Amino acid sequence: MKNNIIIFLLAIQLTSCGRFGNQDEKKNNEERIVCISKQYSEIIFALGAQENIVAVDLSSTYPTEIKQLPTIGYHRALSTETILSMKPTLILHDNNIGPEHVVNQLEELEIPMKTFGDYLPTIDGTDSLIREMGSYFRKEKEAALLCKKLKTDMEKALAETKKYSKTPKVLIIHFGRASNVYLVMTQKSTAAKMLEWAGGVMAVNDKRGMKQLSPEVVAAANPDIILLTDFGYDRLSNGNEIEKLPGISSTKAFRNNHIFRIEEHDLVYLGPRTGENVLLIQKLIHPQ
Amino acid sequence: MKSNSIGIAFLFLLVLLSLISAKYGAVEISHQEIWNAFTHSLQGTEINNLNERIFIQIRLPRVIMGAFVGAALAVGGVLMQALFRNPIVEPGLVGTSSGAAFGAALYFVLGATLKLNLGEWTLPLAACIGGIVSTTFVFYLSQSKKSNKSSVVSLLLTGIAINALFLSGVGFLSYIARDPQARSITFWNLGTLSGSYWEALYFVIGVTVVCLLLSLRYAKQLNALMLGEQEAQLLGVSIRQLKIKVLLINVIMVSVATAFVGVIGFVGLIVPHLLRMLHGSDNRFLIWAGAMLGALVLTASDLAARLLLSPAELPIGIVTSIIGVPIFIVLLRRTNYFF
Repeated sequence: MKNNIIIFLLAIQLTSCGRFGNQDEKKNNEERIVCISKQYSEIIFALGAQENIVAVDLSSTYPTEIKQLPTIGYHRALSTETILSMKPTLILHDNNIGPEHVVNQLEELEIPMKTFGDYLPTIDGTDSLIREMGSYFRKEKEAALLCKKLKTDMEKALAETKKYSKTPKVLIIHFGRASNVYLVMTQKSTAAKMLEWAGGVMAVNDKRGMKQLSPEVVAAANPDIILLTDFGYDRLSNGNEIEKLPGISSTKAFRNNHIFRIEEHDLVYLGPRTGENVLLIQKLIHPQ
Repeated sequence: MKSNSIGIAFLFLLVLLSLISAKYGAVEISHQEIWNAFTHSLQGTEINNLNERIFIQIRLPRVIMGAFVGAALAVGGVLMQALFRNPIVEPGLVGTSSGAAFGAALYFVLGATLKLNLGEWTLPLAACIGGIVSTTFVFYLSQSKKSNKSSVVSLLLTGIAINALFLSGVGFLSYIARDPQARSITFWNLGTLSGSYWEALYFVIGVTVVCLLLSLRYAKQLNALMLGEQEAQLLGVSIRQLKIKVLLINVIMVSVATAFVGVIGFVGLIVPHLLRMLHGSDNRFLIWAGAMLGALVLTASDLAARLLLSPAELPIGIVTSIIGVPIFIVLLRRTNYFF
């Protein structure tokens, strides 16, 4: 009996958990768009084109109001029926979706899907993406404004960067620590590009965008600054867990108290706020 | 309870549960749409209504796939427990599941670099080959050179060792994998019926039915084996032959099922035990009843996987354990039960 109660409670817990329980408040919209890309989601909201967005993926977290929308789950673990239950007339995605069979099923059912141009992760590429999305949603003016802001912010950030003589070595740890290893962003990641614009350099180099590192390598890399993404930081900052992390306490960053929190969505893709975010990173990595 | 009435009860429940499972899911499909979907596909006319197509192309193959995979896994469990005369055995123990998982992981991580590509069939093929290779490994390594005996214990221990080897292989592959690949491996290891399609389904049905009929032929010999290896030999059972044949049936049936839906644990373990509590250890009964109860358990689990978090979906491997483990423990504690 006890077990049954536990299962029952677990079931209640599961059905009510987080964004899966959000209500669909756009039932009568003729056009219903499901957006499975955090970068697209942010741009759509920035353009003010969110009227027909009925659901987004779990990692679309910016702006905050996006969390009121129903979610279809993690973009690499999608389910066909979950997506179809949103009755989409269009699915937007950036080709980073899975598993494969779900994509095949959606294609077979002839659900309209769209991917915008595959631009380089540069300011020019982001500019082109925002403009393409702007003209798709008939928000050309808004797109032009966003691009102008991006350009101005970036110019400001790059000018600021020249003022700093030092180039701090920065380690960016994603999701805190799991099984005694750190998932660390490398020179290949989008974050590295933003860091470079902000006048810093990545402490770790690798062929892939992210790499699992042992505490020894973290200690040996001896970064001046450590940035922890929100999930890991929030989990570890209770009860000073961070200083207990192996490998961290011997770094310059720890000794100088230069360990900071950063939102994942400010760091892992480029968008209309990239200039702002570079300025934010700049402040973090050049303290005092 | 008589075995006939158990059979009728299972059949009734299975049909009922399958109908419920086909009706309910994340997408609401009306009775009219289901009826239209059937009549349209029987008439061979093209279906234009989206919900009807969802029913025919996604929901229905999934429900049927669940039933047959459940049957395959449960019968695999019956065969293995009978062969090893050991109640803790399930198909995974002779390396089949871990080998299949390794094959699948290899495909996810290295698939893009290999030239070999058979479309939708590449992954199942990789998993199937993995399962067969690892089971063959277990069988040959467990043969002792010194004596001609192939004792059950050495087979079991070799199985544990090879399992550990292949699972660490899966671990290594997910460690070196990029994030999307690692996700695919995790996803596959927890099992899902959501990828079912008709061609795969025909294949699974064919293999499962043939293997099921074959295993019924060996039920009596497996019953004799329950007395002990030497006793069975005295009764005229060729132990070596029986072992090879039953293992072969098991590995083909389980790797094919696993290949299309991923690793689904616990069904192969729990179903034979439930049946023994119900009606005793006669393998002639356990095999066909196991197929039906396995189908029932997996259909129920899949329904739960789709409805618990609706519209999101849980991996079915998680559900079989969440639901199966407590029921199993409660039953074990209530009944005086011997293998």
